[in-house]
Amino acid sequence: MSKVIFGVWDGEVIDNRDKRMFEIEDSPRFDNFVEFNPGNPIKAFFGWKGFFIFDGGVNLLDAAMLYITRAAKESCGACTPCRVGTNIIKQKLADIINGVAGVESLDELELLAEHVRTTSLCGLGQTATVALQKMLTYFRQELEAEIRDIANYKRQEAYSYVTAPCIEACPAKVEVPRYIDYIQDGKLTHSVSVILQKYPMAETCGRVCVRFCEFACRRNLVDEPVGIKLLKRFVAEREKYISDNWFDQDLIADKKPDDLKVAIIGTGPAGINAAYHLLLKGYSVDIFEAHSEPGGMASVGIPNYRLPSDVLHKEIGIVETLGGKIYYNQRMGKDFTLTDLKKRGYKAFFLGIGAGTGKMIGIPGEQRSMKGYKSGINFLLYINHYYLNIGLDVDLGNKMVIVGGGNVAMDCARSALRMGSEEVHLVYRRSKDEMPADHEEIEAAEKEGVIFHFLTHPVQIVSKDNQVTGLKLIKMELGEPDAGGRRSAKPVDGSEYTMDCDFIIPAIGQRVDHSFLSPNDGIELNKWGLIDAEPHTLETTQKGVFAGGDCTTGPKTLIEAMALGMKAAKSIDDYLTHGRVLFDPSERMSELIKDIEKDDTDYLAVPVRATKRIIADEIDPEVRKKIFEEVEKNITVEQAYEEASRCLRCYRVSLAITEK
Amino acid sequence: MKGYINGKEVEFNENDTILQTARAHGHFIPTLCALTCLNHTPGTCRVCLVDTKKKGGPEHQIVTSCDTPMAEGMEVLTRTRLVRERQRLQVELLLADHNQDCASCIRHGDCELQDVAQFVGLEQTHYNYPHFYRGRTKEISSPAIIRDMSKCIRCLRCVEVCREVQKTDVLVFTDKGLTTEIGIKDSLALGSSNCVSCGQCTLVCPVGALAARDDTEEVVDYLYDPEIVTVFQVAPAVRVALGEEFHMLSGESVEAKIISAIRKIGGDVILDTNFSADLTIMEEGTELLDRIKNGGTLPMMTSCSPGWINFVEKNYPELIPHLSSAKSPQQMFGAIAKSFLAEKMGINPRNMRVVSIMPCTAKKEEAKRPEMTQNGKPDVDVVLTTREFSRLLKREGVWLADLPDSVYDNPWMGDYTGAAVIFGATGGVMEAALRTLYAVVNGKELDKIDIKAVRGLENFREAEIDLGGDYGKVKVGMATGLKAARNVLEKIKTGEADKYLFIEVMACPGGCISGGGQPRIKGEYQYNKEARQQGLYTIDANAPVRQSHNNPMIKKIYEDFLGEPLSHKSHRLLHTSYTDRKRKVKHSIKEIWEEITAESII
Repeated sequence: MSKVIFGVWDGEVIDNRDKRMFEIEDSPRFDNFVEFNPGNPIKAFFGWKGFFIFDGGVNLLDAAMLYITRAAKESCGACTPCRVGTNIIKQKLADIINGVAGVESLDELELLAEHVRTTSLCGLGQTATVALQKMLTYFRQELEAEIRDIANYKRQEAYSYVTAPCIEACPAKVEVPRYIDYIQDGKLTHSVSVILQKYPMAETCGRVCVRFCEFACRRNLVDEPVGIKLLKRFVAEREKYISDNWFDQDLIADKKPDDLKVAIIGTGPAGINAAYHLLLKGYSVDIFEAHSEPGGMASVGIPNYRLPSDVLHKEIGIVETLGGKIYYNQRMGKDFTLTDLKKRGYKAFFLGIGAGTGKMIGIPGEQRSMKGYKSGINFLLYINHYYLNIGLDVDLGNKMVIVGGGNVAMDCARSALRMGSEEVHLVYRRSKDEMPADHEEIEAAEKEGVIFHFLTHPVQIVSKDNQVTGLKLIKMELGEPDAGGRRSAKPVDGSEYTMDCDFIIPAIGQRVDHSFLSPNDGIELNKWGLIDAEPHTLETTQKGVFAGGDCTTGPKTLIEAMALGMKAAKSIDDYLTHGRVLFDPSERMSELIKDIEKDDTDYLAVPVRATKRIIADEIDPEVRKKIFEEVEKNITVEQAYEEASRCLRCYRVSLAITEK
Repeated sequence: MKGYINGKEVEFNENDTILQTARAHGHFIPTLCALTCLNHTPGTCRVCLVDTKKKGGPEHQIVTSCDTPMAEGMEVLTRTRLVRERQRLQVELLLADHNQDCASCIRHGDCELQDVAQFVGLEQTHYNYPHFYRGRTKEISSPAIIRDMSKCIRCLRCVEVCREVQKTDVLVFTDKGLTTEIGIKDSLALGSSNCVSCGQCTLVCPVGALAARDDTEEVVDYLYDPEIVTVFQVAPAVRVALGEEFHMLSGESVEAKIISAIRKIGGDVILDTNFSADLTIMEEGTELLDRIKNGGTLPMMTSCSPGWINFVEKNYPELIPHLSSAKSPQQMFGAIAKSFLAEKMGINPRNMRVVSIMPCTAKKEEAKRPEMTQNGKPDVDVVLTTREFSRLLKREGVWLADLPDSVYDNPWMGDYTGAAVIFGATGGVMEAALRTLYAVVNGKELDKIDIKAVRGLENFREAEIDLGGDYGKVKVGMATGLKAARNVLEKIKTGEADKYLFIEVMACPGGCISGGGQPRIKGEYQYNKEARQQGLYTIDANAPVRQSHNNPMIKKIYEDFLGEPLSHKSHRLLHTSYTDRKRKVKHSIKEIWEEITAESII
């Protein structure tokens, strides 16, 4: 726990300069601020709403110089006060540090700081001088004392970090404002390349991402978030990075020795992204896939009308272009074991085996083998793989009931309509507001004609001669919110009724298929049945074996899986180079920022004019509900320029002064 | 909704900005980056500061008026001491980042940054850091346009025009911080990029960052060289715009004064591009009939606008066969001057220098094309834009408005028709061509010479014209501005444009009257378009001869020299060919990553 000697944050001034260290009260906000990395104390933190000093020896002038230098470097250069003002402040501070100017220039600095803060166009300029201005307003004596003693000025160790709320919200930390900037700047090639720095599946992500970034977008404080996903799809679809062969093996600058082979299990988003980054780092990578085609849950779990399979396949192809080899129909636990791979000379391993087994509802009459019963994930596999790709016929009966309220349930319902089911019902135990599926997905399903039954829960499956004939349901009511804020649902006595149907799809979650693992592999599971991996390093209980994606987190999203794949690649590189996973200062800064922000209320310093978000064209619901063609169309270049101009560029600089 | 500006009640609509509201109510607020006629308020200069106080709130806040919305009951103050001080500081910052070599600047005396500095009452600049701008690009490789990024203030007006008006989309915002500049897509030089040299960007640049190359020095050399015979040609659109540079009315024809002016500065032979515009109609019209008769590529498209030619060569080379092979009037003039005229006047073509006065920046580049030469010498030696010509006159101490009127007197190329002068407005080439085509087809003149159906200022127009004879009613199209031109080309690709026989295209919106080399109005774009257009139609209406084929000197040149349109000699002198100049850029992710890593936050 750290003690703040003095500082200002978001208008709140803390001044304990008259106290001795043991007299200062602990502040729970700074639980995490004792050390930056082991043995390296954090002495001060400077950010976009102010600063905190934890150590009496901090030099404020130097901190201000370090901070403004970074801000000036990051200035996009469009608006005058940020581009020029930050650089003039830097010059003025340098004059003071070099003894050319004295305390008399502090007034001018204060004016410049105020001017840059209040008149800059975007978040970077509006926050770049806040810390400096607060120092000048509240703690000017400290600066004056430092100036009088300028002969003893000393440089300090520091780590600076630039980010934005959308970047922090993205599991893969894609630099969202940068790729939006590049669109505004007219450099679409550069825009898509920003995304490709993080993963090869840019177009895939542009279609199906759950958009953590958009929920964090500060444009929400004005009107609607920037259409970040639309813009991503726009550049990814427009720039032909695959057909124009942007990638080749020349890209790999630092080829590693041939014996440093890495084995990756699974071609889902986690495995593919781990492979991508390892290949870029110069390792030879072999990938083992249990199915006959790649993509894992991105291929099986996402219907064609949201993600055409050729898009996914060609993006996975980048990994092969970079020299990765994919072995199909190679199921771990059946065709080989981890121990076999070790014998074959692989030095490190990544398990991205997913969580592909559908959970059962657990009610009387439910059997996996009965006709007219398939788990949601199995159903999607059936349609996407066996029906659409191989052409096998499927009988879905006339009336289908889907159980669940997540995205998989929506995917099942909308796919069933496209397969020709006459009536598609969806039962969910809570109300619409509690549904975990994306709002857009729920709306699309409603438009296409899925019949929703909220506050309804199955109690028994009715069948005859092993064929589903109906589902017994009970009405539910909502109780008080639980500790997590979610309202519990409890059955209403005597409200049971039976709905006739000939197909039931439980889409209530998935779990890891444990048949992949053999006892000899030494991979331990945690209490949720997931692979136990250390969250910072992703290392499993076996040395050199790393795991990530749904198999360590339970069913999550494409972007989270890709992020973990990228993280695993860094860990594996560290492991193969240094024998251990190294400290990641950016990740640490990210944690500190999260801590600082958790009690903050956000607001816009300057009023912003409301503008409408671009809406992509869609195929008419009456037409599209019959076909697996993609529903949403790409936006035009004019629309993209317009949407890109809505970005507020909430860049902000953080600086941690450390011992070493 | 209601609020207050400087204590006076103002009405506004929801989401109106403070700037919009202030302007609507006659309150002046200085701006620099805004180009409101194009709805361009990027909010980059940050000069338009005002003081605001929200209803009921005690706090005053300084905000930019261009991007801050008005709010119910808001009080806005535009001229308080604080506002003026902060506007002043902003302009000081702009100047700290700007190469203030004002005396040598191409925008000397015509600079919007200086105006803003005046307005905010700047008396002294406190910040002088030449290293802020010293390293920026100065590109002088293009024959048409120069880029001096040490002057750029990042208003992005040029990007807006290039992207939204012309849809050429060549200009990009590059780098970051103090090194930010307006660059060329894929980091190319202007000449090798998709830039077509239309110069529309130079009409909106508030400072000297983007400008037409200044070639006045070369002309002064020729004027004062006793060995050299200078032959001047003046394009149609110049005469209705040049007066603006000398405080005369826009649209007023100053042709008679231009003749006096060239004479005064020592020009030897003073002629008009209109002569060769008439010649163009003879050649292009005959080519069209020939294409119809012999199954040539249709629709045929005009070829007098060099920006347009560049655009086709660089973007749609597969459609080159649709372009008329006729050279532009400027180049026909040069070719005829250095052959026919030189012969008639007994001048050695080696001593002759053809100087063009053009409304156009792309003409500078056109004159440099290798195919526009005879015996290794260019047909046109130097091209001055209307703005440069004005500068030349001022350098030579000539004030156009004070000069007496004068007339053309050359017996070989000194006559022109009303059909030629309307080349300067969109639809003019089409109208001139139709007048002659009708006469050729029917053996008689049109009853009504004015073909109003092809006139207008909309970006794309079509008309149905009864050509008579075997042709009957034909459809023609007129596109102006490259955005409309692109649409037409796309329609040719899909076959939708097959219904047209002949399409006129002008690279600049409105035609040459709004060319990239014409006088500009600060803070406006295409401001005098209508007046200039009207000026040209008035000259035509009052012309004694209004059909190209009736120009007596045109008849004479065919009799004495060329033979007939499309003759062997015509082909050699008056027709040209085009080249596939489509750019093939091979991107590699490696290179792009190297570039963006330098700019990224990591």
